[in-house]
Parts: sequence; C-alpha cells; structure tokens
Amino acid sequence: MPHIEILPNTGAAPAPGWAYVPDTGYDPSKVAFNPKDRKRQAARLGGMPTGLELSARQLTAVQRRIAELERDNDARSGIEIPNKKTTFKTSATKKILLSAKEIRHWLDDEDALYTNKTQAPGGGARAITSRVIKPAMGAKGRRATITPRALTPAVPAFPGSTSGLQDKALEIRSAVPAPLDDEKLQALLAAPPLPYAAARVGPPGAGAPPQRLFCDTCGYWGRVKCLKCGARVCGLECKGKHDQSMCTRF
Amino acid sequence: MPPKGWRKAAHDPVATQTLVLDNGAYTLKAGFASAAAAPTYDDCKIIPNCIAKGRDKRVYIASDLDKCTNFGEMAFRRPVERGFIVNWEAEKAIWEHEFSEGKEGLRCDPKETNLVLAEAPNCPVQLQKNCDEMVFEEFEFATYYRSIGPALNAYNDIPSLFSDSAPPDTSPLPPECLLLIDSSYSHTTITPLYNGRPIHLAIRRMSVGGKLLTNYLKELSSTRHINMLDETYLLNEIKEAVSFVSPSFKTDLERTWKGGLSDRREVDPSIVLDYVLPNYEHSAHGFARPHDPIKARRKLLQPLDGPREDILPVGNERFAVPELLFTPTDIGLQEAGLPEAIMQSLSVLPAALQAGMLANIVVVGGNSLIKGFMERLETDLRQLTPTNIPLRIARAPDPIKHTWLGGARLAHDRDLLRGVVVTRAQYQEHGSTWLGRWFAGGDALKGK
Ligand SMILES: [Zn+2]
Ligand SMILES: [Zn+2]
Repeated sequence: MPHIEILPNTGAAPAPGWAYVPDTGYDPSKVAFNPKDRKRQAARLGGMPTGLELSARQLTAVQRRIAELERDNDARSGIEIPNKKTTFKTSATKKILLSAKEIRHWLDDEDALYTNKTQAPGGGARAITSRVIKPAMGAKGRRATITPRALTPAVPAFPGSTSGLQDKALEIRSAVPAPLDDEKLQALLAAPPLPYAAARVGPPGAGAPPQRLFCDTCGYWGRVKCLKCGARVCGLECKGKHDQSMCTRF
Repeated sequence: MPPKGWRKAAHDPVATQTLVLDNGAYTLKAGFASAAAAPTYDDCKIIPNCIAKGRDKRVYIASDLDKCTNFGEMAFRRPVERGFIVNWEAEKAIWEHEFSEGKEGLRCDPKETNLVLAEAPNCPVQLQKNCDEMVFEEFEFATYYRSIGPALNAYNDIPSLFSDSAPPDTSPLPPECLLLIDSSYSHTTITPLYNGRPIHLAIRRMSVGGKLLTNYLKELSSTRHINMLDETYLLNEIKEAVSFVSPSFKTDLERTWKGGLSDRREVDPSIVLDYVLPNYEHSAHGFARPHDPIKARRKLLQPLDGPREDILPVGNERFAVPELLFTPTDIGLQEAGLPEAIMQSLSVLPAALQAGMLANIVVVGGNSLIKGFMERLETDLRQLTPTNIPLRIARAPDPIKHTWLGGARLAHDRDLLRGVVVTRAQYQEHGSTWLGRWFAGGDALKGK
C-alpha cells in the first residue's frame, strides 16, 4: 500500500467555495521542510511534490494525468496490419511476432527481476520502491494504465546510480580536480547498463524552487484554490468557468 | 594498396553495403553506407515509424503517409514504446514495407546487407533479445551491430561542431570526452562517453520528450478551447510551428495574461496567436497568425455553406509546453529539469572527467530545434556550474539525422565495422544470450 498522508489544508475555514492560498509558486521559504519529520520526508520521496498538500485522490489524479501524457499508442488505435503474413521463420520469431505484450509488461518484468535479485539473502538492499505503490492490475485492466512509474522515481539499488546523489555537490568545485585514477576509470567504463527504472532522473534537489501551480482554466498562476476539488485557478473569472464545466468534485 | 575489404571479398561475411537504422519511436532514420563514399545527411531518409488509419478507414504504412493529405482524426499504431521496439508485428510490417518491398530507395536483400541499429539506452534485456532474434532469424541480415544511439554519435566529427575554424575531420575516432544529450520523441537522455565508450552508470533519462509535449499541448487545447483529443497529428504540427522555450517564463506568463475582472490587460500580440486549423478539404496544413480578437469572436457568425475557419488560440501554451523540458514539476512530474539532470549524471563521474564533459556537450534530437532551447540550456547550465569551468554546448547541424550519421561513419570505415559486427554464422553458433552479452559488454572499439 502506498503511504499517503492526508495533510491538513491551510485554509480550513468555511468559505464560499474558494480561498486565496499562500503562493507556493514563489516563496523560497516554503522549500524547507523539517528533516526530522520522517513521515513527510517519506511521503515526499514517494512522489509527493515539495510543499504541496495533496489528498490521495489528487495524487491519483496527477498520476493518471502523467500516465496519459506518456502514452505511446492511443487507446482507440486497434489498427490491423493489411495483408498480414502468418508464416514465421523460426519458433522464436513466431513467439515474438504473436506477442501482445506492451512496454509496461516488459518493464514490470524487469522490475520484478531486479527486485528479486536485490532481495537475495544477505543482500540487504531495498526493493525498488515504485513497486510498493503498484495498484493491483489485470493484464487488460483499465487501471493498468496508471503506472506508478509515472510519478515515483524508483530508488535504484545500484551502486553509483541516483540514490543519495542529491546531497552530493559536484566535486568539480575544487579548482584542481584529482588526477584520473585509471583503475577506477576502467571499473566505471566496464560497468554494465542500469535497468530502465534505475536510469530515471531523480527529483529536483532540495535547493530547487518549489513546484509551480497554474490556473486550470487559462494557465496563469494558480492563486486561488477550489475548495471543492482542490484545483487551482487564477481568479474569480476563471473560477466561474471552472465551476461551470471543469470542477471534478461531484 | 588495394581498397579495404578487398582482400577477402570472396568469403567475407561482412557485406559491402550496410543499412544504418536509427529506429526511433516517431520516425525511422535510415540509409545505406559503404566504404565507397563518405556518408552525408543526404543519404539518410526519414520515414514515419507507424501504421496509421484515417477517418476514411484507409490504412497507411510508414512512408505511405507522405501521400496523405487528410490527417483528421488519424489514429496511429507505433511499434516503438518508450524508445524500444515492443510490437514486432507492426515493426516487421514497416521494415518489410520500406526495405524488402520498397520500390526504390531503401530496398535491399538483408542477406547481402549489414545492419547497424541504434537503440535507446537502458533497454530491457528481453526486448534486446527479441530484437536480435528478429534481425538474424526473421530478416536474416548478413551481419549486425546494435548500439545505443548516443554511442554512435561519438563517430561524428565533434571538433567542427565547436569551432568554425576546425578543419573537417573525416576520421571517425571518438573524442576523449563527449556529453551527448538526446532530446527526442520518447524521452530526453544524457550520456557521458569516454573515448567513445558510454559510461552506463551515469546515463540518465528524463520522461519528457516530444511525445509528452505534444500530448500536453493536446490536453491543454482540449480543456481550454476545442476538443482535440483525436488530433495528435495536428497538435504535433502546431507544437512544431509555434512553440518556443522562454528565456524568462514569469515575464512571458505575465505578457500573455488577460488580467482579472477588475484589471483587464492587453495580451502581448507578439506571443498570442491564432492557429487556423486545416479543414482537410481545401487545406492539409494549418498556419499561425497574430491573434485577432474580432475575428476570433466572429467565428460563430461564419456562414454554414461558405468556407469556414476554425481557430485555435495559442497563448501561454506556446512556451508552457516546452517548459516541461526544464521544469517537469509543472505537471507534477517529480523529475529534475534538463540542466539539473545533466548535473545528476555528471556527479557519478570522477572529478577529472566532469570538466571535460562540460566542455564537450553535444545536443541531438528534434526538441533541440525548438526556438530558444539551446540558449536556455546554456544559461541554466551556466548557473549550475562554477564560473572557472569552461562550458561548451553545440547542437548538431541536423539534430534529427546526427545519430544516423555517426552510425554511417562507423559503417563507412570497414575496419571499425568489422570490429563491432556479429555475423549470422556467429549468431547461429553461439545463440542470442551470448549475443546480448557481447553487445552489452562490448563497446564500439572492442578488439581494437
Ligand atoms: Zn485563469
Ligand atoms: Zn473545483
């Protein structure tokens, strides 16, 4: 199960359906979070945007949206190949050509493979975290389009990959870099490719500006929050349009 | 001295011609290379890597689309997902259509042809195995080399990208340090290479690529204006025509805002445009013109029988969409933007290599053609690097065909080619698991 915490809303006072909210898009002081607050930190690492308070429902909506944006083939495609040949040169190519697997299946297979490897006795390494929030999915289920991969950077269980990088300043800052250690270099060059999930870019570092929020209706700054659905709008005019046709709280 | 490759011509398993194929999710970049002539961009053909079905149910395979004039509600089936060949049924139909059955151009007999195939980094091993089996067992190419695209770029003439005065370099020897950024359809990847060898532990991938940008523009246009969810082709066309990377996002966002109810503002007509949509009867493509509020309002009054004009207004979408390359968190995607992603990649390297990489950054891939992309990348990267470190960033003259050209330069040099390819006989002897290990452990200069 995902660890999803419902955090208290800032403007909890009853209001006419909207509230001005502190503009997380600008205030650098909002970047800081209490490092002792483990729960929040865990939530953040699990894909919770910095400084944002999202309900489980909103988090799912963000995940679904990103999965939709990452989609390679549209759902309606179902295009048959004209004059399809049904002869295959070998049994191996027959299997490949008749396979209906999509990329998510292949990536899940790969995740499972590496998770098993890293959970080997004595290894003590973590499982790839993206698996933890995986929704139960049937091979053809609708929910399967929501891949946790879409939102959660996997924490790779590989030496030298993104894990723990955020705190490490570039060594380049020293004026004269240490000379190239040939042995280390050869080891680096010989290292095999990372699995797909482990090569993903990590989240922005702690010093990065917080996530910007935009008006759902026109794309300007999202300075006003809809208290019904949590969406942002820029002002009363866009709030009106939002209430008419876009508010998802029903 | 006889020409290279002459000696063993009779029994040489390495064929004379090589099909160099950068098998992208959106397009194939394909063309032949041989020892006879040094390859150029002109030898590379760009072919849609899809099977498409129009409103009239007509099905188009790959280059058939060049003849299409009605892209309305066109559905696409793409064999490549996330950069990797997943659906071989469709990919085979496309390869056969272009290479075995093609009337002219790229027609070839695989048994008499070497294949140099570019793949995206970090491909799942099982998919690589499928690819290798298809190449040798179904298509039966004479010899084959599969390499990640960024590594093929190392065979290009890198020094001339950074200096107009550098003499053109025909030698395909890779530079010591190369940081290759590939921002294309499926994603944006960062690959440091040392003497042409990719440093796998440092390869990083952003989820943002051209596909995500097009889908985002489609989403924004559909929720804000007209339902365009079935118009992928058109939205891609609009994206290519109007999008730009803003040098100052906040300023541009202000310039495109209509203002509040009580403080109306004039939107900046140099940014806000009207995109006149094609109707696919009189026009196959649309065009942009400055926003005209009167015409936009008059839309509803257009005659039903005369030529009607449908307009999609585009304002902040023009720069908010490609902004995702620099600020993926704008859609809640918890990934660093490109400049910081580059620093994440470099932090894996020893200090001595980091400076060398920063001084040799080459950008390829279609997104690098978005106006303002290179300038923004350089500005933002400069802010992340110490001022005493020289920063050099260059975009390939043709960023879409550049990976292909690197592969073609490799194939042009017969000794280099011979050092990397595997023959069908070797494959038949050792099998696909061995082949996968050979390509994974081997780099382009193996055996040299
Ligand atoms: Zn608004
Ligand atoms: Zn609402």
